[in-house]
Amino acid sequence: MTKKEKILLKSAVAFAAVYSVAPISNAMHIMEGYLPAGYCIAWGVICLPFLIAGYISLRNRIKENRKNMTLIAMAGAFIFVISSLKIPSVSGSCSHMTGTGLGAVLLGPAAVSILGMIVLIFQALLLAHGGLTTLGANTFSMAVSGPLVSFGVYRLCGRLGVNRRISIFLAAFLGDMFTYCVTSVQLALANPSEAGGVAASVVKFLGVFAPTQLPLAVIEGLITVVILIGLETYAGPELRSIGFIRENIAQKKEAR
Amino acid sequence: MISIDQLAYRSGLRKVSAVEKTAYALMTLVICVAGRSLEAALMAFAANGFLVIRKGKVSLLRYGKMLLMPLVFLILGTGAVIVNISEIPLDAFAIRLGGWYLTGSRAGIWKGLELGTVAMSAVSSMYFLAVSTPVTDVLGVLRKIRVPSLFLELMLLIYRFIFVLLGTAEGIMTAQKCRMGNRDLRTGIRSFGMMGSALFIRSVKRAGALYDSMEARCYDGEIRVLSRERPVRKKEVLMIGAWEILLVFVTLWSIMR
Repeated sequence: MTKKEKILLKSAVAFAAVYSVAPISNAMHIMEGYLPAGYCIAWGVICLPFLIAGYISLRNRIKENRKNMTLIAMAGAFIFVISSLKIPSVSGSCSHMTGTGLGAVLLGPAAVSILGMIVLIFQALLLAHGGLTTLGANTFSMAVSGPLVSFGVYRLCGRLGVNRRISIFLAAFLGDMFTYCVTSVQLALANPSEAGGVAASVVKFLGVFAPTQLPLAVIEGLITVVILIGLETYAGPELRSIGFIRENIAQKKEAR
Repeated sequence: MISIDQLAYRSGLRKVSAVEKTAYALMTLVICVAGRSLEAALMAFAANGFLVIRKGKVSLLRYGKMLLMPLVFLILGTGAVIVNISEIPLDAFAIRLGGWYLTGSRAGIWKGLELGTVAMSAVSSMYFLAVSTPVTDVLGVLRKIRVPSLFLELMLLIYRFIFVLLGTAEGIMTAQKCRMGNRDLRTGIRSFGMMGSALFIRSVKRAGALYDSMEARCYDGEIRVLSRERPVRKKEVLMIGAWEILLVFVTLWSIMR
């Protein structure tokens, strides 16, 4: 082995060790202090229209029936809990869901934008995932763009008559993947590569986070399917109360 | 159940006004992030460590473990900043891979180090707030700066529900573990999904029951809670102000240098 090959081997071992030893704690939250101030503000401003839309939608739902207040809050806490629990698996490493795909399918993307932001604030303050200055960027990737994709995919699959399980899987999986791509772009914009600029940097960040994020997105998709199938089997009245079951019945009628 | 929450309630700084603590943490955070100065970041990191460990009475081990939590992100993210893939080797190091190089420049390494230090000092500022101020106190501060009440009530209810649901979820997961529910990845995923749907059903029922009980206690669309006011002390305000001004000067000095 030449000296350079040795260095390469050592760095590969170190890289693998980091992946296997360190707890994979919601790696897609951009860490506190990692974005320059200008980007923090810019992402926050980009989120604003979505948050205002979400706020108005939540306010109207609560005005419609005051009982929705506790229901929406409970849904927010549910997203937090689902995303804070570790998914046990044999490999020893623990991973988390984002839970936003599930939220988007159940509650719609507008409600998830506000709930997602609240969940992100609590994740920063209670679990030290993400941060306060990067809240805008994280909100955009996890609470706005991911859920929008999930919801869009779910609706599209419903229209096209794709199998329900597959459509739920695709919604959660693609939502997660989109979140991961958006985060990589956000990081790359703030840290353009010296050789190749922003585009090369996007590729680097995508590549570095792919080994943790790809399997996670698949697992998230599978779990979302199990959760929703369980809910459809056992929780008719509850799903009706959040307005999920209406379209579901319509779809079943179409299937007949 | 959530250790940071427990630390916040037991903190030695619990009795200090939440407005002061929030203002200190946010100002330090903004100065670190906006100024990007290595010196100011190191000073803020040291000050936060002192406040958390000596004043807040968090054990060194615990604080150290908390600081290690963002390590994976830091290593991967900073690694991606330092290492480039290019056809031309840069000045600091270059490892040949076929026709390409894994390479980095001195300026890039410096930038990566600076980024990591600034990020860690920002993290320490956030930790200071998280382990010294319970969420209910933070909500009090948000109320003072006129955040919409719907938003605050949602936050209050979500905060309350988190612990209820976490308890339920942990119970279910323990039961699943006892019954070999996590034998391999397949059963693990199935168990987690089943836990999720059971949790959702229970949480919707809980929400209904909670609403009924709130209604029985004259809920009229607004939750009003009394918060304990802790006075803002002049001496502390002066010290915080002086410290932040010092940080700003150090930042300016290091930019101009």
